[in-house]
Amino acid sequence: MNDRNLVRGLFLLAISLAFGLTSLRYPIGQFSRAGPGLFPLLVSSLLFLIGLITVARSRFVERVHLDFKMKNIALILASLCGFALISEHLNMIVGIVFMVFCASFAGTSSYSVMRNLKISAGLIAVALAFQKLLGFNLPLY
Amino acid sequence: MDVLHNLALGFAVALTWQNLMFCAIGCTVGTLVGLLPGLGPLATISILLPLTYSIPTGGALIMLAGIYYGAQYGDSVSAITMKIPHASSIVACIDGYQMTLKGKTGLALFTAGVSSFIGGTVAIVVLSFLAPVLGEVALLFGPADYCALMLVGFVCVSFVTTGSLLNGMAMCLIGVLLGQIGTDVNSGMQRFTMNLSFLSDGVGLVSIALGCFGIAEITKNLDNRDERTPFNGKIKLIPTWAEFKRIIPSALRGSVIGSFLGILPGGGPVIAQFAAYAVDKKVSKYKHEIGSGAIEGVAGQAAADEAAARTSFIPLMSIGIPENAVMALMMAAFIIKGIQPGPNMIAGHPDLFWGLVASMWVGNCFLLILNVPLVRYWLSVFKIPYSVLFPSILFFCCIGTYSVNNSLDDIFITAVFGFIGYMFVRLDLDAAPLMLGFILGPMLEENFRRALLLSRGNFTSFITRPISGTLLGFIGIFIVWQVAAFFVQARKTTAQHQQPA
Repeated sequence: MNDRNLVRGLFLLAISLAFGLTSLRYPIGQFSRAGPGLFPLLVSSLLFLIGLITVARSRFVERVHLDFKMKNIALILASLCGFALISEHLNMIVGIVFMVFCASFAGTSSYSVMRNLKISAGLIAVALAFQKLLGFNLPLY
Repeated sequence: MDVLHNLALGFAVALTWQNLMFCAIGCTVGTLVGLLPGLGPLATISILLPLTYSIPTGGALIMLAGIYYGAQYGDSVSAITMKIPHASSIVACIDGYQMTLKGKTGLALFTAGVSSFIGGTVAIVVLSFLAPVLGEVALLFGPADYCALMLVGFVCVSFVTTGSLLNGMAMCLIGVLLGQIGTDVNSGMQRFTMNLSFLSDGVGLVSIALGCFGIAEITKNLDNRDERTPFNGKIKLIPTWAEFKRIIPSALRGSVIGSFLGILPGGGPVIAQFAAYAVDKKVSKYKHEIGSGAIEGVAGQAAADEAAARTSFIPLMSIGIPENAVMALMMAAFIIKGIQPGPNMIAGHPDLFWGLVASMWVGNCFLLILNVPLVRYWLSVFKIPYSVLFPSILFFCCIGTYSVNNSLDDIFITAVFGFIGYMFVRLDLDAAPLMLGFILGPMLEENFRRALLLSRGNFTSFITRPISGTLLGFIGIFIVWQVAAFFVQARKTTAQHQQPA
């Protein structure tokens, strides 16, 4: 299972099925009068075919190890979602501080609160400049 | 004479104080962001796109173009000094970095700057003559021809950017499918929205671009955090006359090659660089030096890079079909500003079109004047540690996504695409064809349905029309060639495996 080529094929198959099966729920129509489901169905069938070829091909070419590290991507996504949630319920300044502190766990081995505070301050200043000078509608406070 | 008259109109637009300022800002900011590790032109344009929202249309387009070639130039600077290639300047790494190792960084940067200027100038001449002509040809295109042209674009981009037709086509198709999310324009039906109201307008382009190029790139860089030796040597910028003379022929060759390759579907800077480099290696007077830090190795490819970056605007502005992912993003930006690129753009908005063309040349001058002397200050960007840099990039991604619709929901969509983009990176799938597919998807469907409606469901109209028939023929030949190449390769490897045994 730990073969990048095989996983790629399966991934493509999964996407094509997700779109293809959903498009069956929409009216297909005829070729001369295409319904909303026809085009996505055609495209996802083509993608399904490519997925099949990729899976078949993975048996003939050399295996490549699939390298997937959860930690960094999880931290980055958490900081993004946290930023959005906090900005919605509290305000964006707190969101920025949270994002900097959460994301920098992914960064270096040396975690420095002081540095994070400095980065946050800098970014808040930039955000204020965006709001005041460029007219961005940011819910900063 | 018409062209001269039009160019005069263009310069009148481009040389207003306001537009000069937008051009300068675009070039500067584009260069700065383009220098950052992991951010190529695609990511740079998508991060900086929101900056142009509050600017009048003409200025916004000029600024976007400035951002684009600024990013392109910033890329080559980081390639020459640090050997950090982004997608767009792989070739600059070869001889450029060799020159840096020899202590000739200044000369390499000067060469790149001057050659880009020459390449850009040649390309603008080509652009101003060819775009209006091609615009008239575009009027002959029917829906079936547009479909075939887009498919040719998909095939070419897939092959050129990823090297694997299969992977690239898969990404194009995923892009087309993502473009289906939202309301169907013909029937008003909601497709693939999962009953989420914010998806009924479709997925935002900026969310996808920043997810796949911003977030995914940051995470990839964090995963393989390699040590970089920051460049901090002294640079001598002005070359001797003998060195300067070596730049010119090579740059001119590169300009012509780049201008031509930039127009072809799937073409653009990357393929032009390789072609110019290969030609220089064959015909240059100093060909034995190329590869070990020769001026020609930098000049030719830099000129081709810049020329192709300019002429790739031709298909977008005359036919209305972007030929690579960066142009697709530019097209989206045009549409956001209410301009539909296509045959009618030149006639309908001559001031915008010619203003943009003229501003490209002005931008070239800016790059030369601003960047060559300022390059030592630019390079201090590399002294910022990545742990400071990446939260800031993340912040700009958030602001960029949010400010499209002033909606925090878009940040969640970006996060989702960040994850998907990371999967793509790990599965060795290039996201650039996905952008092209996403932007062309709705157009492809529209033309496909219209073509079938006109032919009453008869598929032969795709083959019998001369333009689409020829284009589809090319695709067929290309696919047969790829399949044959795969089997030949497979047979060779099995033969090699059997021999030692």
